[in-house]
Amino acid sequence: MRGPEVTWYLAVAAFLFATGALGVLLRRSPLIVLLSLEIMLNGANLALIAFARHHGEAGGQIFALAVMAVAASEVVVGLGLIVALARRRLDLDVDKLSTLRG
Amino acid sequence: MGNILIWAVWVIAAFSCLASGVAVVSFANPFFSALALIGNLASLAVLYLLLSAEFVAAAQVLVYAGAVMVMFLFVTAYLGGRADAPWAGGPGWQQLGAVLAAGAILVEVIVVIGLKAGGRLSEQSPVDEAFGSPAQIGRLFLTDHLLAFEITSVVLLVAAVGGVILGAHSHTDRQELDAGA
Amino acid sequence: MIVAAWICLLAPLGAALAITLCGTAISRRVAGYLATASVLGSFAAALVVLAELWSESPEERQHASTAFTWLTGGSFEVGVRILADPLSVFMMLVVSGVGFLIVAYSIGYMDGDDEERRYFAYMALFVFSMLLLVQGGNFVMLLAGWGLVGLSSYLLIGFWHERPEAVAAAKKAFVMNAIGDATMALAFFLLIQHGHTLNFPGAFDLGGESSWFVNLVALGLLGGAVAKSAQLPLQTWLPDAMEGPTPVSALIHAATMVTAGVYLIVRCNGVFEQAPHVQELAAGLGAATLLMAGLIALVQTDIKRVIAYSTMSQIGYMFVGAGIGTYANAEFHLMTHAFFKALLFLAAGLVIHALAGEQDIRRMGGIGGLMPMTRIAFLIGSLALVGIPPFAGFFSKDPIIAAALDAGWFGEILFVATLIGTFLTGLYAFRLFFLVFPGEPSPFVREHLMHGSHAYGPEGAHGEDDASRPHGHDTHEHAGEGPFSMTAPVAVLAILSVVGGWIQFAPFWHPISNWLEPVAPPLVEPTNTQEVIASVAAVLLGLAGMALAWLVYAERRLAVPRLAFGRNLLEHKFYFDELYDYAFFRPAVGTARFLRRAIEEPLVLGSIGGIAETFRDLGGWTRRAQTGLVRTYALAIAASVAVMTIVFVAVR
Repeated sequence: MRGPEVTWYLAVAAFLFATGALGVLLRRSPLIVLLSLEIMLNGANLALIAFARHHGEAGGQIFALAVMAVAASEVVVGLGLIVALARRRLDLDVDKLSTLRG
Repeated sequence: MGNILIWAVWVIAAFSCLASGVAVVSFANPFFSALALIGNLASLAVLYLLLSAEFVAAAQVLVYAGAVMVMFLFVTAYLGGRADAPWAGGPGWQQLGAVLAAGAILVEVIVVIGLKAGGRLSEQSPVDEAFGSPAQIGRLFLTDHLLAFEITSVVLLVAAVGGVILGAHSHTDRQELDAGA
Repeated sequence: MIVAAWICLLAPLGAALAITLCGTAISRRVAGYLATASVLGSFAAALVVLAELWSESPEERQHASTAFTWLTGGSFEVGVRILADPLSVFMMLVVSGVGFLIVAYSIGYMDGDDEERRYFAYMALFVFSMLLLVQGGNFVMLLAGWGLVGLSSYLLIGFWHERPEAVAAAKKAFVMNAIGDATMALAFFLLIQHGHTLNFPGAFDLGGESSWFVNLVALGLLGGAVAKSAQLPLQTWLPDAMEGPTPVSALIHAATMVTAGVYLIVRCNGVFEQAPHVQELAAGLGAATLLMAGLIALVQTDIKRVIAYSTMSQIGYMFVGAGIGTYANAEFHLMTHAFFKALLFLAAGLVIHALAGEQDIRRMGGIGGLMPMTRIAFLIGSLALVGIPPFAGFFSKDPIIAAALDAGWFGEILFVATLIGTFLTGLYAFRLFFLVFPGEPSPFVREHLMHGSHAYGPEGAHGEDDASRPHGHDTHEHAGEGPFSMTAPVAVLAILSVVGGWIQFAPFWHPISNWLEPVAPPLVEPTNTQEVIASVAAVLLGLAGMALAWLVYAERRLAVPRLAFGRNLLEHKFYFDELYDYAFFRPAVGTARFLRRAIEEPLVLGSIGGIAETFRDLGGWTRRAQTGLVRTYALAIAASVAVMTIVFVAVR
């Protein structure tokens, strides 16, 4: 079947990636930052799947699955950090978490 | 006829994908951001289906939307949804720089796609029925990409251990760390 | 034989190293025995070399041995080379023989001193250095020995380093010797530059070079000789060097080190003969020093300083001898001088030791009755010094005076100078003798030597500089005049001062001249008439000086003339110290101060601080990138990605 060409999917992926990047850079709550990070990863995944379909190589899908697994792991650790921060009653504001200041 | 259907599905899915993406980034309440992300994941699953990646689509819904987002929602509920003013804070130049950088990346990607790869991206390779099926994915994982498979499992193990450690109660007194920020 | 020569050289070095490395593991006595035994071993080895050389014919008496090549630079090569020939073995015997006696004496003299081991290590080091100097087979070895004796002299003069005067004297000696070292090194550089070998005797052949070159080389060598031998104009360090212990003064500043200059001239006679004006200069400096020192000795009140100026004067004789070309006689006088000068110093040491460190002769009168053997020894030494037959000095000094007659019009001036010197010698030597030994004991002497209570040591001090002279006197047998280790060498030297001259009596038998002739053939040969004239005149003048001294100091029939100007001049040692102070020291210090103010503090120290501050500031600026905010870092990453994408795309 025919549908949009790969380029359309790639454009969507690019938009997703840029949106996620904006979120990471502009938001102050670490939770939202993590969510934006997920958006970026999903954008990358979409590009991978699109190219996999374009070339007929299923390796791209394998890659996407691996990315998903890594994203899950990263979310575990990131949320663990946020919970630990909350438990210590620290402000959940990335601008305030700057003890590593030089 | 079939083509128009595909296009229609595509448009709806793409649009909702983008909208939910923007929503995730914009909402003040993290709870709403998480819900928007679920929407994003669902639209992406549809797009994957359009690209003959059935297994990945299923995995996306199960793992991502099912497990990861549930975790997010748990934590958001636990934290009580502390909101922050999304566009305030941080040095002005930082925000401008962020917009510029993100915009630059977007433009570059599109330019690259347009300029460099224009001709070659129009031809799609034909695929058979088995493309993207669980059988094929499983076979590839255990033959061509065995190393990736193993390393991914190690990463998951590490993450699990990390999660446990981060969640454990520490010895130091909480009061001690209250002052630092 | 070569083995014996190496043993002679290295034995004292071995002792020095052993004493240093053993540290307090060996007793102080043992250190002394070790040092003494090593020097005795050197002497024995030197005798072996002598015997072997004797058995050869004169032409063959030259053996060189190179241990290894030390320096190479292109075609230039220098090895660790020693030479065994008549001259070197002569000097080896004198150095090790007299050295042995003096080191043995030191065992008794330095007994009880806390740092005795250091002393004996230094003495052994000195003997090694002096042997290296005389046995060196090329200029570099000689220079090495030269420098090392300078070092040993510095270490030994400043041995009692808590005394600031001793430290200052050591520095003065070293600096003045360094001037001589520098001129010598310059001479060697000239030789190297012109492609000459530095090995003896090839180094002396400077044929084909311009007279400028030869004169410069000879002047460089003469500079070193003058510094080491304390001749005009570098003589001011020698009297100050008397701050060291008496055996040091005896060994280094009478018998051996200061005679190194004479050895140098005799060894390099080939060079000097090609630069006759420099050789005449040497003789002239010797004569001037001879007179000057003799005059200054007339007003000195420290017993050791009188003998020091006497040394300076006698070396002047040797310089005159070497300068006019009678090398064998200069060497012969070196030998006899070693005997009687060491005798005088050691006997003076017995006196000083008995008087618990007092050296001022004005307080010492009449000690002869209480120390008869010392008195006899001193008398013998003084007679030998003045040159009265049959004592040693007569046989060695008079031929020099005679040779001066044979050396042209310049020689006649030298003749007159040396004769006046003889008169002065008689005068100051017997002034010293009569002030110290005969007559009634002075109150000071009485206190120290006659009563049963022996208040020795620094706490029983009399005299200003006693308390700081660390002198242990725990074993001081007063029946004798000192322990056996001190009296025996004195006795031996006394005997040598009597018979030592009999080995050569110029007109009749002259084995020394024969022995040294292959190495240093004389330039002048005085006739028998000249010899007789010179001898008679010298002896008469010497006796006249003695008589005058007797009249003034013993019988007190004549008074010392007032002559304030002369007295001041002599007491200030012809104002040389003041001259050098104004000419060299003050400008140097002023320059140093100015440089410190103007350059060192602002530039050097400031720049160090400036550099440090710059780096600190750089660090500060760089630190600003570490904001600690995650967002900043993320922005940096995003921006980098954007830029790199452009770069990659554009490059492809």
